Amino acid sequence: MDADSDVALDILITNVVCVFRTRCHLNLRKIALEGANVIYKRDVGKVLMKLRKPRITATIWSSGKIICTGATSEEEAKFGARRLARCLQKLGFQVIFTDYKVVNVLAVCNMPFEIRLPEFTKNNRPHASYEPELHPAVCYRIKSLRATLQIFSTGSITVTGPNVKAVATAVEQIYPFVFESRKEIL
Amino acid sequence: MASTSRLDALPRVTCPNHPDAILVEDYRAGDMICPECGLVVGDRVIDVGSEWRTFSNDKATKDPSRVGDAQNPLLSDGDLSTMIGKGTGAASFDEFGNSKYQNRRTMSSSDRAMMNAFKEITTMADRINLPRNIVDRTNNLFKQVYEQKSLKGRANDAIASACLYIACRQEGVPRTFKEICAVSRISKKEIGRCFKLILKALETSVDLITTGDFMSRFCSNLCLPKQVQMAATHIARKAVELDLVPGRSPISVAAAAIYMASQASAEKRTQKEIGDIAGVADVTIRQSYRLIYPRAPDLFPTDFKFDTPVDKLPQL
Repeated sequence: MDADSDVALDILITNVVCVFRTRCHLNLRKIALEGANVIYKRDVGKVLMKLRKPRITATIWSSGKIICTGATSEEEAKFGARRLARCLQKLGFQVIFTDYKVVNVLAVCNMPFEIRLPEFTKNNRPHASYEPELHPAVCYRIKSLRATLQIFSTGSITVTGPNVKAVATAVEQIYPFVFESRKEIL
Repeated sequence: MASTSRLDALPRVTCPNHPDAILVEDYRAGDMICPECGLVVGDRVIDVGSEWRTFSNDKATKDPSRVGDAQNPLLSDGDLSTMIGKGTGAASFDEFGNSKYQNRRTMSSSDRAMMNAFKEITTMADRINLPRNIVDRTNNLFKQVYEQKSLKGRANDAIASACLYIACRQEGVPRTFKEICAVSRISKKEIGRCFKLILKALETSVDLITTGDFMSRFCSNLCLPKQVQMAATHIARKAVELDLVPGRSPISVAAAAIYMASQASAEKRTQKEIGDIAGVADVTIRQSYRLIYPRAPDLFPTDFKFDTPVDKLPQL
């Protein structure tokens, strides 16, 4: 059964996670006292700084490593990271923006049909794993793209991958398999 | 002990016809046989018969021919070790009344964790009355996982519980995670995690669970007659075939089917009772029941005797 390849599937990117380093030690206490919109988690040793403009949350460690989550696109993640670095610079640290890398992209996609999960698992044995007692979705891993897809019976699919392109490719790859095990609307 | 000459390289006995032939030893009977002519030269040099005779009418609490426990060669590295036993007689106690040689030095330290795990597995299996073949399979799985060392950081009990779960699945008699949880001290989350890791480590996969696997167990625990059990099995199977319950765990569907079948028969069971046995919340049963209720007449088997007719089934 040939899948309709020009079906426009909206892939909505919900989260982009990136990391970068400031090549200097950061005084968390100073950031906690002087910075705006910060939460100091002393027991773990990190500071959470939430930015409003690109809505992101950054986890800052004293070593200078910063993880930035909550962005909705790769560019936004970069802007947010840079804005954050500027914030820290204004607080007086000698910040150098290095090693910026997008680590994880989470996207959601909705299929126009429902999916039969047991049938899908049987057809895709090694890659798909389904444990209804543990989680209601089938977990499908694409090793070559390092992407993981969670396929629900309602037809919505959650994809996580290392970058946006991998996520898009993953959805394209999974479409024919999911199309095979779809539930026809009577 | 006598100063025999060093040139005694030849064996003491030789075949009379072939003095140069090197005798072959038959290990079974301890004979020395000449390879040239087949003459048995030395008879029963080493006797492999038993040292003591045992008669069937003896008390047989002690079999003097047997030394040590039954071997478990498949699993541990063989039980060949020696322990120092508790002393008898006065000489084994030192001045304070403590026994000398206190520590019966534990054997096979490399496998001590494994043997501990085997004991734990047997205890767990015993609690839910699992047959020996499942326990053996679990032991084998545990040994494989343990030797691979890829899950070394995890608690041994967690790995044992997960192995037990996998063994039950592989034997075709799956137990729910909650049932395994009930006999183990490990949380369901941890068992689930270990389960996935073990499948990846051993590169195996397991079949999907079906509603029918649990019917006989749940129904017997609820003391439901065979008719009700068969009806419930039929209902659950039909419900899954018609895909009335997408995304619901087979256990919940099975529980709802049992509820429907029991409510239609003389032996009614409440949702709470069924939920208790199946390990499902009664709201979950309610949800699944609501999904199968509209098609109730189609789901029952054709030869089912209704105590409560289909239209009078409770609607929740």
